[in-house]
Amino acid sequence: MEAKYDFERKYREQILQCSRCGFCQSVCPVYGATLRPALNARGKMLLLKEVMDGKIELGKELIDSLFQCTTCASCANNCPSGVNVPEIIKQVRKDMVNIGSCHPAFAGMNEVLQKSTNIYAEDELPDFDRKRDQKAAYVYFIGCVGAYREDEATEGALDLLDRLSVDYTLISEVCCSGVLEDVGYSLNPKLASQNLERIFATGAKTVITGCPYCYRTFTHRQEYDELRKRGITVLHISQFLKDLDFGVTTDKKVTYHDPCDLGRHCGIYEEPRATIRKIAPDFVEMQHHHADSLCCGAGGGVRGAYAKNSLAMARRRLKEAEDTGAEILLTECNSCVHNLANAKLRKQNIKIYNTTAFINELMTKKVRNK
Amino acid sequence: MDEKLKNGLIGIVGAENYSEDLIDMVSYSYDASQHSARPLCVVWPQNAEQVSRLMVFANETHVPVIPRGAGTGLSGMAVPIKGGIVLDLSHMNKILMISIEDRLVIVEPGVVYANLEKGLAAYGFFFPPDPASGKVSTLGGNVATNAGGVKGAKYGTTRDYVLALQVVLPDGRVMRTGSRAMKSVSGYDLTRLFVGSEGTLGVVTEITLKINPRPTATSTASATFGNLEDAGRAVSQIMHSGIIPSVLEILGKETILAINKNTDLNLPEVEAMLLAETDGYTKGETEYQMAKVTEVFARNNALEIKQAKSDEEAINLWKARKSAYAVLARIKTHFVLEDVTVPMGKVADLLKGIEAISRKHDIQIATFGHAGDGNLHPQILYDGYNPEDVKKMEAASADLFALAISLHGTLTGEHGIGLSKAPFMTLEHDPAAMNVMRSLKRMFDPNNILNPGKMALDDAGGPASEPGIHG
Repeated sequence: MEAKYDFERKYREQILQCSRCGFCQSVCPVYGATLRPALNARGKMLLLKEVMDGKIELGKELIDSLFQCTTCASCANNCPSGVNVPEIIKQVRKDMVNIGSCHPAFAGMNEVLQKSTNIYAEDELPDFDRKRDQKAAYVYFIGCVGAYREDEATEGALDLLDRLSVDYTLISEVCCSGVLEDVGYSLNPKLASQNLERIFATGAKTVITGCPYCYRTFTHRQEYDELRKRGITVLHISQFLKDLDFGVTTDKKVTYHDPCDLGRHCGIYEEPRATIRKIAPDFVEMQHHHADSLCCGAGGGVRGAYAKNSLAMARRRLKEAEDTGAEILLTECNSCVHNLANAKLRKQNIKIYNTTAFINELMTKKVRNK
Repeated sequence: MDEKLKNGLIGIVGAENYSEDLIDMVSYSYDASQHSARPLCVVWPQNAEQVSRLMVFANETHVPVIPRGAGTGLSGMAVPIKGGIVLDLSHMNKILMISIEDRLVIVEPGVVYANLEKGLAAYGFFFPPDPASGKVSTLGGNVATNAGGVKGAKYGTTRDYVLALQVVLPDGRVMRTGSRAMKSVSGYDLTRLFVGSEGTLGVVTEITLKINPRPTATSTASATFGNLEDAGRAVSQIMHSGIIPSVLEILGKETILAINKNTDLNLPEVEAMLLAETDGYTKGETEYQMAKVTEVFARNNALEIKQAKSDEEAINLWKARKSAYAVLARIKTHFVLEDVTVPMGKVADLLKGIEAISRKHDIQIATFGHAGDGNLHPQILYDGYNPEDVKKMEAASADLFALAISLHGTLTGEHGIGLSKAPFMTLEHDPAAMNVMRSLKRMFDPNNILNPGKMALDDAGGPASEPGIHG
């Protein structure tokens, strides 16, 4: 029988390899928040198997399972049968978009990024009282969430770079649009070339991203190959900071949340910890950390499309943070900060920061106390 | 979907705990076996009272009810072969009490094994029967299947730890069995009747389990062998050497190859490998036992004997072992994982017989398992889309069962009968025993609404249900 969809052509063997052992159920954040096995990786693979067997149609009825995945990759990381679920999900979402069975929130995101320069369809890029598109050694690329939603976190990061006298510039950035690949569409090459032009114009040899997803896109996607060809290094801010000294410490207990895009997807676990250990001698890990870290629930388009479950996932993660007894929860991703902060209840005292903003706060206090 | 049925169910559990969505119906069609069948709907009850009302309702309307935990079973017992309502108990997941003083815990059926382990670790206690799926399997499922695990030889199976149950009977009555006392001979042992009953007699809604103090020291060693027989002989000699290892596992060559593909353990690619763990409270104690074990290894032509140098090394070995069956899915996309069990003295015969069956039917059978209690896991690998292969698999399965029974063993040591082994029940149980089991089922469940079609209980005689749908 001829394969009807690309997901089958590319991943048939892998989907059939799923042995239904269910090990993914113990790590899937969507299952953890809902206890609904149809939303777990095994449930998704079973749907695709039945589509391939001709038992069900790849139609709208499958949207709530196949579009409800944060692509956090915990399942793939724990799959003894070697099934790379996030890649399969990304492909099947494209197939569903092709046949017109797409979650409206995902279609909306694509529409926005065809017309606008950012995922929020905002008209004006905030400049954070800084000049843009200057000649400099470094470009600081903020990312949509940091630019339009988590401005405090971004101000903290920029102030920190100023304190450290880093020769950087902001650019008239547009969305890296990598997220479109996760939600059934394709990266927008027009947006990519705008970013590239503006980066090249600064003469910078290094791009520092505040967003792990932008980092992932710049380093993994061919539309950004030109960066590598021109010898431009891309760093996530946590990699840039790891060798620096800040001269401040906190006596508060601190824990750290690994963003999926930085950790499981890019293998960056130790750089953030190296920095945190310098400023927070009382550092503790949560129950799930490094490659076993629990997703905050924001990724893969789930925050927009399934807000209630997305927040439930964030609440589970916050609970783990609180269980450590930490007063401060640090992370390295504006999207994680955003979702975790939204999920925080008033009675919860834990404070959530990006590491950069927290260091900046410590340095500000030190200056004030002098 | 019948509106009356739907409204009745929603009236009991609420609309948010009811679904007939296609995505749920597909996911509840399967467990970890090769069987599948669609249910009508699923409900997620929140407490025993709801379960009781659901059973009253189902009993009146004669709709099948299939209790389900994590769906990690390997013989199709949670597959709704006659349709009906899936009763997913995973929302009832509270640890109700941990009493170290009384050496017991009381849990709801949806508590995941690993979560109980975590809860007990703080007290230095554990619940020994740890199925390979323990990260996901629920204790309700473990009770329904009498789950075993790698520690069976020394610590027994789930059955040996269940002190008391709360059960909802098919007519909705709520019954308590057993007590919190460590021993009891008060009346028939109803508790044990429900352990391993595969959800055919009642729905377990509360479980009281005995727990053990966790030994603080372990030693781990592995030995390689040039043939399966040497390994099999070593196993039975260890078990009568006066030492009972806490774990004694065997891995056949196919399994070793698959594990090497999945991990960076680089196991030696030999015909057979034994993994042993001894436990106790001092290193001296565990080393003394391990010395006896390795002595037996050496006497039986072990090629290489290695002791794990670190905890990490040992943990990795066990992790690899526990992933064995899923790892084997990388070789062929379909498999049947058997769990035939024989008396300890017959392990070598069973291993030899499995090899012969594999040759006879020209089909790949990977073997591993709990050698220490005679429970092996021959995993038959085949292509479910190839009818020839399916036939071979079925013939090999039948031969395996006949072999186990001829060695005075059993069809299943820990996975249960479900759908897969239902046609073979009469091979092991004589007509009188079958008759008693069927009478019991009729007494508890006269309308045959609880997990019908399983364990060959439905019919008066002969093989009961068709082997399931493959593919």
